Parts: sequence; C-alpha cells; structure tokens
Amino acid sequence: MIAWREWRTAASRAFVDSLPVLMGYTTMGFVAGVLLAAKGGVSLAPLWAVLSSSMWITGTMSFAFVPEIAARSSIATIVLMTVAVNFRYAFYGFSMLERWRKIPFVQKAYLILMLTDENYALEVAASQSMDDKTHLKYCTVISALNHSYWVAGVTVGAVVVCLLGMAIDPDVIRRHTNGMEFAMVALFLVIFTDQIRSFVSHEK
Amino acid sequence: MKSDVLYMFGVIVAVFAANYALRALPFIAFGGRGRPLPRWASSMGEYVSPVIIAALIVYSYAGLAWRTPWPYVAGALTVGLQLWRRNPLASIIAGTILYMCLLSCGCVSERSHRLESSVAHPIVRVTSRGIMFKDVPVTPARAVALLEENEVPKNRTLHVLVDDDFDNQRVLWVFKHNYLDRAGYTKSVWIHGRRGESGKADIKPPDRGVATPYRDRMFR
Repeated sequence: MIAWREWRTAASRAFVDSLPVLMGYTTMGFVAGVLLAAKGGVSLAPLWAVLSSSMWITGTMSFAFVPEIAARSSIATIVLMTVAVNFRYAFYGFSMLERWRKIPFVQKAYLILMLTDENYALEVAASQSMDDKTHLKYCTVISALNHSYWVAGVTVGAVVVCLLGMAIDPDVIRRHTNGMEFAMVALFLVIFTDQIRSFVSHEK
Repeated sequence: MKSDVLYMFGVIVAVFAANYALRALPFIAFGGRGRPLPRWASSMGEYVSPVIIAALIVYSYAGLAWRTPWPYVAGALTVGLQLWRRNPLASIIAGTILYMCLLSCGCVSERSHRLESSVAHPIVRVTSRGIMFKDVPVTPARAVALLEENEVPKNRTLHVLVDDDFDNQRVLWVFKHNYLDRAGYTKSVWIHGRRGESGKADIKPPDRGVATPYRDRMFR
C-alpha cells in the first residue's frame, strides 16, 4: 500500500514535469517523422519511424541521419557520426551511478536507454528533493512518458506523410511550429537557474 | 527493396548500439556492485551536472534563431519568472509563447525573409530583355550576387525560367557556366515557357531581331 502511494506521488510530479517535454518532443518528433518519410527515400517509412524512435531517442541524430540514409551512406559512417554528435551522453551516467547502483537489471537497462538530455536534466533536478526510492520511481515514470511522446510524434509524422503522399513539405511544418523548440531550452534554463540558486543558498 | 529493408534495419540497430554504448559507458566502467566508486567518479557526478546543463543551454541556443535578439529576450523572461515565482511550468510556457510570438510577429525572422526558389516560383528568369531577378532587370553578376545575398541554397536545384521565345543558346551557356557554376550554383536547370505565371509576362518584349545595347553590354 505504501509503495502504491510512492508511485502516485512520483507519477503525478513526473507528469507535470514532463509537460514541457511533451510540447517539445511531439513537435520535434513529428517533424523528424515527416522528414524521414518525405526525404529519406525509403519504403516502409512508418515501420522505420516506430523502430528507430523506440530504440533510440536522440533528437539530433533523428534529423541528421535522414540525409545519410537518403544518400545510402555506409553504416560505419553513420555510427561515427552518432558517436561524434552524442559523445556528451557518456558523461550523464556519472551523476546517476550512486543512485542506480542497486536497482533491478531490466529497470536499469531501460533508464540508461532513456538517458536523454531532457530526462537527465529533470532527473538531476528532482534528485535533490526526493529520497532514493521515490526518485527511482520518478525516473521510471518520466522516462516512459517522454519515450511515449517521442514515439507518438515520430510515428504520426511518418504516417501522415505516407497517407497524404508526399504532399507535405517538412519546411512548411517547421515554419508553422516555428519557436516551439524553445520549450526545451526553457526547461534547461529553469533547471540551471534552480541549480545556481541552491548552490548560492548552500554557500551562505 | 529487400536490400533497402536490410540497410535500414542495419542502420537503426547500429545507431542504437552506438548510442547505448555511450550512455552505458560509466555504468560499465564503475557499476560493479561490490566495487566502491573511486572518489573522482563520484565527485564528477556531483559537479558535472550544472556544467552539462550549461553546455546544453549553449548547444540548444545554436538551434534557435540565435542571430536575432528574440531567444535572449525569451530566455531572460524564463529565468526572471523562475527566480520570482519558482513555478517551472509557468516559466517555460511563458518563455516559449513569448519566443513564438516574437519569431512570427517580430520584424526579423530569419526564415520568412529567405527567398524561396522552386519550380513553381523561379526567382531568376531569362527573357529577351535580359535577366530578371524577381522581375527586376539585372546583370548576370548582380543576379548571382542577389542569389547569394538572399541565401538561396547552393546544394539544391536552381530553376531558371527561360521564356519560350528566347532561344539564344550562347547567352544561356555563358550565364550558366561563367556565372552560376562559378558561384557554386552548379545544379541550375532551365525551365521553358509558362510565361503567364511570372509577374510581368504581359509586357510585350522588344523585337528580338534588334539587339538592344543593354543586352550587348551584358553578354560581352
């Protein structure tokens, strides 16, 4: 019973915190899906959209790999590009090492998979005001929520292009959702502001 | 078709593996249950997060219209609201809405100012009166300079409308090779006819038999 209550507090906080990510991920994912289907030059685009978005959430690569697959670049090139673009991810784990030390393997594997910029920022920010157990539940819920936003965005984008038959220009969509991407930057700004504030108040 | 499927499958799995390996690196190196964490690794976890988030802010600003003042104005509003009210969601939504308004209503929007050049709306046109850039007569050098000024992408196909009654191949050749190609617009394509779509098509062109002095000056 007590565990249930912990889940509920963690989940409700996670849902509120995930709303800015909802704005960012669905629009960004939608554009990424449209781009993949319209400019990727591959058949079965919705399948690849679902597969890629559920297996890796990395905004930059979802955009950057489209011209590469359109040109049929070698897989080694694309892997090299991934490592170059996403090298920062290698540092995220350090902040979570202690907290995620004794958790079940599958859960840990999933949390590591979902260690994106936004998830990392939210998880670090939440870690200051929660005990380890609640924090772990918070991480799980927020990972699952953000994962679902991203998969939904990318898939809908790819499916829409397939249904409307290339009638959609990614540039036009980008122009209409122009500015929505600021939600992510604002999220980082807010978290950074809070970190600096807590740092300053600790000093005093 | 079948090789496409294999290729896409390979790409997705490869990117997944690379990504996952990067994210799992610290856990693989220091995650053993029995081993204590080296001190530098645990202190790294403490101090690295504000640094990472600061870097993320800089990095994501590069994806915004960072040459305009708008992202900084919206960012100031976000940080100010957060310092004042301490309500993250409100600060984020307010900042985002302000940024979207500034971008679409603001006087400088990088994207909307950029000229669109496509098959349906070619901005460069070759007529018997000379080269037109958006229906303004220009010299070939000026046409190229205007294309560059308006940031018309060089890697995309550039469609140039050639009037139906214009058949001076030498002029086209010179314009393509000496001006467009040299400036980097190597993917230029002539499209013929469809004069009705261009703005000033109803003006009667001068008699083609007479070489106007203007044209002679242009294509020396």
